[in-house]
This record gives sequence, structure tokens and C-alpha cells, in this order.
Amino acid sequence: MISEHITAKLVQLLTKENVITEQEDLLVLGYDSTPGLHAMPDIVVYPVSSEQVRDIMIIARDEGIAITPRGSGTGLSGGSIPIQGGIVICLNKLNKILEIDEENLTATCQAGVVTLDLFNAVAEKGLFYPPDPGSQKISTMGGNVMEDAGGLRGLKYGVTRDYVMALKCVLPDGSLLSTGGKSVKDVAGYAFKDLLVGSEGTLGIITEITVKLIPPPQDKKTFLTYFDDIRTAGEAVSKIIAAKIIPSTMEIMDKATINCVEDYVSIGLPREMAALLLIEVDGHPAVVAEEAIAVNKILEQVGAAEIHIAKDAEEAVSLAEARRTALSALARVCPTTLLEDATVPRSLLPETFTLIEKLAEKYHLRVGTFGHAGDGNLHPTVLCDERDKDEMRRAHAFYDELYEQVLEWGGTVSGEHGIGIAKKDYLARQIGAGGVAVMRRVKNSFDPQGILNPGKIFESKQES
Amino acid sequence: MTGTKQLGNFTPEDAPEYGDVLQCMRCGFCLPTCPTFSLTGRERSSPRGRVALARAVSEGKLEFNQAMKEEAYFCLDCRACTTACPSGVKAGEVMEICRAQAHQQQPLPKWQSVFRNFILQKMLPSPDLLETSMLPARLYQKLGIQWLVRNSKILKLAPAWIDKAEGMIPEMHQPLRQQIPQFSPATTEKRGTVAFFLGCVMTLMYAEVSRQTVRVLNHQGYDVITPKEQKCCGAPHLTEGDRETTRTLATHNLDLFMKLDVDAIVTDCAGCGSALKEYEEILAERQDHNRLEHFRHKIKDISEFLVEVGIRTEGLKPVNKVVTYHEPCHLCHAQGITKQPREAIQSIPGIELREMDESSWCCGSAATFSLKFTEESQKILDRKLNNVKKTEADVLITANPGCHLQLAWGLRQAEMPQPVLHLSELLGEATPD
Repeated sequence: MISEHITAKLVQLLTKENVITEQEDLLVLGYDSTPGLHAMPDIVVYPVSSEQVRDIMIIARDEGIAITPRGSGTGLSGGSIPIQGGIVICLNKLNKILEIDEENLTATCQAGVVTLDLFNAVAEKGLFYPPDPGSQKISTMGGNVMEDAGGLRGLKYGVTRDYVMALKCVLPDGSLLSTGGKSVKDVAGYAFKDLLVGSEGTLGIITEITVKLIPPPQDKKTFLTYFDDIRTAGEAVSKIIAAKIIPSTMEIMDKATINCVEDYVSIGLPREMAALLLIEVDGHPAVVAEEAIAVNKILEQVGAAEIHIAKDAEEAVSLAEARRTALSALARVCPTTLLEDATVPRSLLPETFTLIEKLAEKYHLRVGTFGHAGDGNLHPTVLCDERDKDEMRRAHAFYDELYEQVLEWGGTVSGEHGIGIAKKDYLARQIGAGGVAVMRRVKNSFDPQGILNPGKIFESKQES
Repeated sequence: MTGTKQLGNFTPEDAPEYGDVLQCMRCGFCLPTCPTFSLTGRERSSPRGRVALARAVSEGKLEFNQAMKEEAYFCLDCRACTTACPSGVKAGEVMEICRAQAHQQQPLPKWQSVFRNFILQKMLPSPDLLETSMLPARLYQKLGIQWLVRNSKILKLAPAWIDKAEGMIPEMHQPLRQQIPQFSPATTEKRGTVAFFLGCVMTLMYAEVSRQTVRVLNHQGYDVITPKEQKCCGAPHLTEGDRETTRTLATHNLDLFMKLDVDAIVTDCAGCGSALKEYEEILAERQDHNRLEHFRHKIKDISEFLVEVGIRTEGLKPVNKVVTYHEPCHLCHAQGITKQPREAIQSIPGIELREMDESSWCCGSAATFSLKFTEESQKILDRKLNNVKKTEADVLITANPGCHLQLAWGLRQAEMPQPVLHLSELLGEATPD
């Protein structure tokens, strides 16, 4: 519980409007998009300036209160859930785009700016910010950086990390850290910025972000390809890469996902097909034309059932939009969607599909699989009902066994969603006790009191 | 969506189904589409937040308290979130049901509940009473009292909603129901017969619009039957949480219209159309499923019907105007009708349809929302008017009386030049005598 004098201090600092204490408000600020996770904050604050973020942190530090940063709550591993209560600090009102620097090709914005808003603002100036997580219409830049969000264009353009040039943040002791800058090269000291990206809000609270921009591709061609067997789709992915073609997008959906997405968007996706691949090649028109021919040839060679080419940019966008709804659309058919983020070296995609099928059968589960095939990043999603205890137990056994094999193949337990609360055990398996111990030491050096987003990524010392 | 056994802190009668609230996986796709969330930035005033509150109530973690009631009514029920939700969650419907819960769990003070029950259970279900009640309003205009009131600005002293309500009243004519013939024959080569569902607000406040609807249908080759015994569709009762009266009215209208041998039941009110199409769910436990489905398939919005049968354009008079179209929530979100009104507009020779930004964003009318939350409603309306302004269109077209009242009032207040026309009026302008 937060004492009255702390509440009063926060109100004095932020005004009453930006300090939330009503139970009904608190109740809906203790979840994100991860199924089954919820915790009540004691108080929620909405700072409107970087200075206020620092002042809030100082109050938390002095009073020893847990403090958890939150954006739009679209995370998929529980990163913004306040499992020890305390303060939730919502950064949504820090939502200004501060600068678009056309000479240095950078954009600087506050942490609460919505990803798509930044994308659109730079696009207006003829520039391109590639990271495009599925939730880009809602997710915030701060959240993207903290989770190192990926997206549909990861294969060619990389993920959020590859675009972060500078960060300003508030550390748990209330000090300010400014790391990186607009210089293309920078090897001065430890690369704190790289440590902070993907740190899931456990090391500092970001207030300002500078990202790299690039010129947009001049042309693109989008393929929608259907397969009778999902393994053939996997094979197509590996063959395209082996032919030294890097498409900007290679997204896969299995039959269950195709059907759910079609239920929602009604754009004529083939309900009877085992899988589809959405492939996009982009760049200089001459290169695009050449690569498109090569991709088409490979798709024919591996035996794709049907190959379609989007007739215009509008159709290409609508296909990508449809793909972005995959996870939410799967939720149509069941109350609970348990989603995972297994990632393997992409040459192992066909084997991974076989494994998922085998395990789904073994544990009597309905599984819908979609993901970024080009990145080897799959989201096998168990369609279940959290009220059915036995089914939930089987779902967890399914993931246990899946991850065991994924790790054996040299894969990772999270490609882009982060560890958060949900996958602490799996991380420990991946990096071992030694790896966790080093992470803990890093965490301690930033946050000796253990107040910032406690209980995430790994068990804190007190718990273990 | 009617449960039979107690679900958490909901009462058994007219409670949300647990499955319907569990369906939300909290992805947040609804957030950028919600006018009230956009206005407040408050999670509990978002579809995701509202469903989470309803879930907490159904799991016994939250009482059905004042906040729950506030959110049930603060929701515009615009259904933009239903369109945006890939998971198929119907947050608007859940809130509508929560309004029924609010009346069970938090009864109004005596005088308010007597007034509410009189309006919902006596006046609205009785066309005669309803029409008589409008007499003072017509006299008020005819005798020049309106002119006096508006010019003296005396209502600036009253609560904001009274001033606004007075300002919204359009020029009123004799209610259409009393004058419209029960049978109105096709005026060109006959294609079929349709029944016309004449909404309460249409007959009372927009008689001229519905007159045009019938005229357009006749000219398109349809005999039109308008049964005098029809009653209110029950939509106001749904939005006010009186689902039982809706069922009574629905049963009456269902029996009445199913007796007619018609190709379709056409309406020019998006709110009515949406409610009529929901009879299938509302009466699910009381009526034969096939009969309800049959009825459901016959209900057509005027634009939906005309585009489906194909608009006869020969002989249409050119209308040389630039128009922009505001989509009523209960047409585009509740009924999924977005292409047909545009196609109908563009079938008129000479017309230019210039799209506004955010054409499917609510105008802030939302039944009684515009009077209950005058300030919030104004902000939502301003956003809409700004989008209208940017088009520089000559005319603003819409297809629902609630939007019509709100937009016409807003344009007048903002001293903008555009008149608001119902799609039927525009079609009427192009239809030769």
C-alpha cells in the first residue's frame, strides 16, 4: 500500500489529473496482452515531462517502492505487469515527436509516441522507419525499445535495436543517463544503449529515443503463395535465402491461422490450404524485377500450390494488415490464446513444423502457427480455455518439450516478445545459472534496491 | 447473451455471457478506434478496459458499482471497436447489457425512474402518444416562441443539455405516419414489393426524408407497404437498459411484418436497421430460430437494398454538387454497411463524392449521449466538423436521424455553410416527378 503522504507528494508533483488511485482504474492498468497475467498497482502516474519521470523515480527510491513502466500494454510476456504492486508509471502522455533530422537521417521522440505515428511522420518527409511490430498502431516507441520489438520486415531491415542511436533515460537512483548520439560511429566506452535496448524496463526508464532512418525502397513486389504442406513452405524459405535473395518479408500462416484471419478480414484467403507465405521483395526497381523472377522460379520448383502477385500497393498493404491481425484473430475461436515465440536457425523450419504437429497431437491440443518464417521466428499458439485446468497443464507440457528441442537446435526461447514473467524458467534453461548470475550483477549495478520493474526476466535474489 | 445462472456479481437477468468477456485477449487493437478513449486517455474508458471491468465483475472481483455504471453509459455504443476487433469481441454490446444491469443493481431515485418508465414503457411504445407529445414542439415553432427563445438566449441560463436539446430541434412537420398511405404503388415498371419500417424519429422529425425514401423506392419500381400498426423498433430501450420492453416491441413488429408478403423490409434509419437485425439475438430464447433468421435477412437499409437490386439510373436528374459522406456508426460498424451508401451516391449523375478523413468516426450523437455528456459530445463533434470542413464539400450526407440532428446543429453553431441531407433526400433530388 502507498501511504497518504506519498500520494500527496505525487499529486503535488503531477496534479490530481495525472495520479490515478481509483480501484477501477488500477484494475485495468495491471495487465498487458499476455494471457492469464494480472496484478494490481497501488497507484498509477502519468508524467508529462522527462523531469517528472526523474522526480517520480526519486520518490520511489526514497520510499523504496516498486515502480513499473508501462506504455500501451500490448506486451506479450508480462513486462509491464506490476507483480509487486507499487507505482505504475504510464508514459503515454510523453508523446511528442521532437525532431526529424533530414541531414543526419534521424528522428527523436518521447517514449510514449505510438510506433505508427512515428512511421507516418517520417514517411511524410520521404523517410522510412522500418521496425513494424504487429501492434504498431498501438504500441509505443518506449515499449518497442525496451522489448526490442521485431516485426514483419525484420529479415531484411532488422529489428528495433538496429535503429536505436541514442537514448535518454532515468536510472533507478534518480540519475539521468544519456547514451549514444547522432554520430554513425561511436565506440566511447561501454555501449549502454545496447544494454538498455531489450532490457524490459528493468534497468532504467526511457524518456527520449533517437532512431536511425533510411530512404524508403523505391519499389516492391508482394507474393501470396499457398502450399499443400507446411513443410514445403519452410523449404521455400530456405531455398530463397540460399539463392542469395533477402526479401523484406517472409511471413507464414498455417491452416488454422488462415481460417481465423479470413473470418475477420474476408479477403478470400484459401481456407483449405495447409499454409501460406507472404513474401515481399523491395528495393531498386531493376533489382525487384530480377528478384521477383527468381523467387517465382523457386516457388514453382519447390511445388507451391498457387502463386499470386499483389496487383498494387493497396493490395500488398491489405495483405500485411491481415497478417498483423493473426494473433488476435486466433482468439476468435477460443477464450485463451497461449502464444510462444520460439526461434530457430531458419534452415530448421521444416523440422520445427513437424515437431509442432507431433507435439500438438501428443498433447491433444489445437495449435495455430504463424510467424516470421524468414527469421526462423515462429509463434505456435495453443488455442485453449484457461478454465480447463487439464488443458492448461497439457499446453505447458507442449511448450516445455518444444523449447527443449528448440534449444538443442541452437534456437532461442524468445525471438521478439521478451522474457518478462512468463518465460523466466525457459531463459534460465537457455543461458544457464552462470548467465543468470551475470544478468543479476548487471541489474544490481543499475538498481541495487531492486525497485525497478522487479521480478522480470529472472528471479530476483530474494525470490530464488 | 442472456445468462440464466448467477455470474459473479451480475444478476442473472440480462447479464453478459462469461465467454463474451473472456474472448478479449487485450491486444489493444480497439484503443485507437475508441472516441471516448481518444478523448480521455483513460484505460477504463476504452473497450479493452470496459471489457476487463465486466470480466472482473463476472469473476466476483469487482462489485457492479458506480464506475461500472458510468462506463456502461459513457460508452457511445458506436461499435467502432467491434469493427476493429480481430477476436470478435463486442464491447459495445457488453456495455449495452451492463446498462440493463445498472438498472437492476442501482435503481434510479423514484421520480427519475417514474419518468424513465413513462418514456420507455408508455410513450415510445405508443405511436399515438408519441405523436401527441410532439404537438407542443410544433406549436412552439409555429407560434414563434422558438424565435423568441433563441434570440433572447434565455436558455444560456439553463443546464447545457436543455439549450442544446432546444437547438437541435429541426423544423417539424405533421408526423408522417398519419399521412403516408399504407400502400404506395411503383411509379415505373414494377420490380417487386417492399415493406417500409418507419422509425419514430424519422416520422416525427424527418417526415420529409422518409417521404423521399418511399418516393425513391416507388420510382425504382417497388410497391411500398407501410403498416400503420408498427411500433418503435426498441433501440432506445436497448440503449437505456430496458431489454424487456425491447422484447415486447420486437415481438409485435416481428408478427406484424412477417404477415406481409414482401421482398424486403426497408428502413432509412440506421439505428432502427441495426436494432431490427438484432431481433435475432434479442428474441433468441422466445422465438423460432428459422423465423428470426428469415426476418433478419429481410431487413435492409435503404442503400443496402437499392445497391443489392441495382439502382436504375436512367431518367435520374443530374445533381451537380460535391458531397461528403458521414457514416452512421449503426450503419458501418453495427451493420457493416460501408460501400453501398457510397455506391448509391455515385449512381447519381453529376455528383462528386469527396471522402472526408475518419468518415466512420462517431459524430458524438449516440442516442442520448449528446445530451448527457454535452462537453464530451461537443469535442467529438468538433473533430468531425473539422474533417467536414477540410473537404470543402457543398453538402454533408448521412443516413441516420441521430447523426442528422447532431451534425445539423453542429454545422449551424460553427456557422459552416453545408446543409445536412439524408441519402434519401439526395436520391430524391435526382428522382424525377
